[in-house]
Amino acid sequence: MTRYIIQRLGESAVVIALMSFLIYALIGLMPGDPIDLMISSDPRLTPADAARLRAVYGLDRPLLERYLSWAVAALGGDFGNSRLHVRPVLDVMPTFLLNTVKLMGLSFVISVTVAIPAGVYAAARQNSRFDHIVNLLCFAGISVPVFWLALMLIIVFSVMIPILPASGVGSIGGGGVWDAVRHLVLPVTTLTIFSIGSYTRFVRAAMIEVLRQDYIRTALAKGAGRARVIWVHALRNAMIPVVTVVALSFGTLLSGALITETMFAYPGMGKLIYDSIMGNDYNMALVTLLFATAVTLAANLLADIAYAWLDPRISYGGSEGVRP
Amino acid sequence: MNGTPLLRVEGLTRHFPLGHGLFGRRAGRVHALTELSFTLATGRTLALVGESGCGKTTAARAIAGLYRPDAGRVLFKGSDLAGLPRRARKDARRAMQMVFQDPFGSLNPRLTVGAIVGEPLVIHRVGTRAERRARVDDVMRGVGLDPRDGQRYPHEFSGGQRQRIAIARALVIEPDLIIADEPLSALDVSIQSQVLNLMKDLQEARGLAFLFITHDLAVVDTFADEVAVMYLGRLVELAPRDRLFAAPRHPYTRTLMAAVPVPGRGKRAPGSIPAGEVPSPITPPPGCPFHPRCPRALPVCRAEMPELEDDGGGSFVACHNPEPPPAFMPAGNIR
Amino acid sequence: MTALPPALIHVRRGMVTLFARRFLDHRLAVASAVVLALLALLAVAAPVAEWALGVDANAVSLAARFLPPSATHPLGTDELGRDLLARLLYGGRVSLIVGLAAALASAVIGTVIGLAAGYYGGKLDIVLMRLTDGVIALPLLPLLIVLAAVDLTKIGLPEALARDADVSLYRMVAIIALVSWTTVARLVRGATLSVREREFVLAATACGAGPLRIMTVHILPNVVSPIIVATTLSVGNVILLESVLSFLGLGIQPPIASWGNMLTGAQELIWSAPELVFWPGALIFLTVIAFNFLGDGLQDALDPRAIAR
Repeated sequence: MTRYIIQRLGESAVVIALMSFLIYALIGLMPGDPIDLMISSDPRLTPADAARLRAVYGLDRPLLERYLSWAVAALGGDFGNSRLHVRPVLDVMPTFLLNTVKLMGLSFVISVTVAIPAGVYAAARQNSRFDHIVNLLCFAGISVPVFWLALMLIIVFSVMIPILPASGVGSIGGGGVWDAVRHLVLPVTTLTIFSIGSYTRFVRAAMIEVLRQDYIRTALAKGAGRARVIWVHALRNAMIPVVTVVALSFGTLLSGALITETMFAYPGMGKLIYDSIMGNDYNMALVTLLFATAVTLAANLLADIAYAWLDPRISYGGSEGVRP
Repeated sequence: MNGTPLLRVEGLTRHFPLGHGLFGRRAGRVHALTELSFTLATGRTLALVGESGCGKTTAARAIAGLYRPDAGRVLFKGSDLAGLPRRARKDARRAMQMVFQDPFGSLNPRLTVGAIVGEPLVIHRVGTRAERRARVDDVMRGVGLDPRDGQRYPHEFSGGQRQRIAIARALVIEPDLIIADEPLSALDVSIQSQVLNLMKDLQEARGLAFLFITHDLAVVDTFADEVAVMYLGRLVELAPRDRLFAAPRHPYTRTLMAAVPVPGRGKRAPGSIPAGEVPSPITPPPGCPFHPRCPRALPVCRAEMPELEDDGGGSFVACHNPEPPPAFMPAGNIR
Repeated sequence: MTALPPALIHVRRGMVTLFARRFLDHRLAVASAVVLALLALLAVAAPVAEWALGVDANAVSLAARFLPPSATHPLGTDELGRDLLARLLYGGRVSLIVGLAAALASAVIGTVIGLAAGYYGGKLDIVLMRLTDGVIALPLLPLLIVLAAVDLTKIGLPEALARDADVSLYRMVAIIALVSWTTVARLVRGATLSVREREFVLAATACGAGPLRIMTVHILPNVVSPIIVATTLSVGNVILLESVLSFLGLGIQPPIASWGNMLTGAQELIWSAPELVFWPGALIFLTVIAFNFLGDGLQDALDPRAIAR
């Protein structure tokens, strides 16, 4: 097991390294470059000045060379300064990260609290009216464009019936806990509608799979209490795939958070990523994107470990099959 | 005998590694096939018999080149298939075709029967489209199918018809050798004899050689010229058919025959039904693999693997303490 | 496991009918197929509608801004005085074309990768599956935003071409396909692994068939069901991605209308003209949910557990 984890960590490091180069290269291909930005902000600079500046900042060197010097600095803990925030990148991130953790954590707790009972109940009464309604709502949840859902919620709850704030984390001048909660309602709702839909579907599918198994049928046939069999024995086994999928969904959730945060001007990681990409804040974009990749990789790794932990039948050595 | 036999198998060995255990421990390997050797002449039939799991199918597939052997070689018309370059190996395969056990699994459900039967011709680029059509129709008639059925799909046919389709596919390219892996075992008994008779007729008409893998001694009796008996991946006895049935030398062969009465061969041979379980091929017992179940086992059997040796009467036996040889052997023991 | 009991042979015989019946049982899927057919028809007929109403979907008219619904403008006009209905129909064209094209392209990529990994196995399998895992681990939307924001002139495309609105359409298809082939690849690999061990594949190998023939003639036709289902489901996802990117101003470029870019200025419209915000999103929602129901229905109908193999 330890060997497996070490191997996976090694692989993740390779993915991160490759990803950092890919993003570095891509960001270099985005419109404008730092010197262009300087020129546009200072009309006195001549093309000759620009060329000299490029040399000073090393922007005329080949891509790989520039990347390597960035990587060396990054490994030393220096990720550069944010152009938009005019501070070291790492100093900016914590506040935004904390806001996202609040948003996603809240949404996650609500989603799971709703999804597990709904999915289990629907699976236990497959093809009942309840099941059909749950199914319909789940499909609606995963099919709705998040940005449009956000717009609709704003129109209904901030414009037509103005009871909730449409943007930010708090009113100007501060409003205490209640104010902060009010600001969270719409973003959390937006994010939660999507994840409830997908989680419920996973729980339902996993439960149906488990309920088909012989040992569950045997338990039911032997007269074990139906509720107990479903909510204890079956659910415990159904949780194995669910845990995996939920961990894997963290990446998707982050994407959802990007849109949600942007729509509600909520200062979290998603908005930070978006703003830095759109605002030519290269250092910030690079670091935040890498951070997002690392989170997804870590979630995948945790999912696989949890899977192995929960299901003793799984082996992670890779077996050589019979091949023609 | 004129020099090189059609097929010569020398020390063919194939082990399957088992999947690793949890988190990387190696769980061992299956000794599926160990040092199999025999020869088969043009136009003749060798039956490879044994209980299920004895390595017959592995042997067939290794000979057909589907599995890469761990040791040993397969000489087909004198050349080692594994040593040939790709193109030459493909050409060599033309003359060696295979019929599988499961007529439901061995036909691609998404192709028409005509396409299935004609596929070897396409692969080996034989003839024009029209010529191939004609050949497919021909061979389908030859195995007792209606050429018009070529438009239909495999699932529309019964098991016996499907096995005919599989045989037609093997025949279409006019091979010299057909490797048939339990071609009858998935069929109803009444269908079995039809298909068996078909194969016998084809053999006579075309001078085909058969390597016939089976567990059914009754089939062996009607079809084979020579019989190779396998146990736990090893060849234990190789003998002409009549001699084998008249006087099996290996105790295992004897118990096998005792377990399965063969019509026309009198009553069951007095002998014991093998006691105990077949040992695991993952951890074969030391010495002779049959000794735990053998009624004639000696102390030496527990320690030493017997070699396959010529008993002077036409049989090859791997046994420290074989059954006594027959007192009298009819002359011209092979058909 | 050798022969099937006779009863199953009959099931098999009626495979197509069985599929049709199971699919038709799935009422939501059937309804979705009808809705999608209608949407496609309307999108194709966009110029006809334009002609019938006597409007031009791209004609800007400051005098006609925010007109309420009327006979000429059944849904009114937008903030630039363009007919909303005509733009919605043209937008549907773009969303459907991008959705189908990118889903098909990613199905092709995924199928090739999945087949190769599953059939060859060994090192190639390991490398390809690690690549797949790697792509799955990428933060999809941020990466798409970066890809969509890349300045095409910096990779050597002529200025005129890089700014061309039509090019933005191809580019959407390309970048979405580039990141969304993973589901198909995994499914095809899994299916290939099991089909590869079936005897008809061994039979073809024994006969001398090369890898290409085995993969295209023998394996591919036997793994189409998961490809169809995954591709149908991915159309919905692709449309969502396209609409988000277009909404952010990074996808389909005006003057070409897409449901996503019709909402680009929506944050300013929520006060003045909320109905302009409603329609494009509602159509995205409808289309995506229809593709998802369709895929779900196909999955049930093609479920191998229900059909004897």
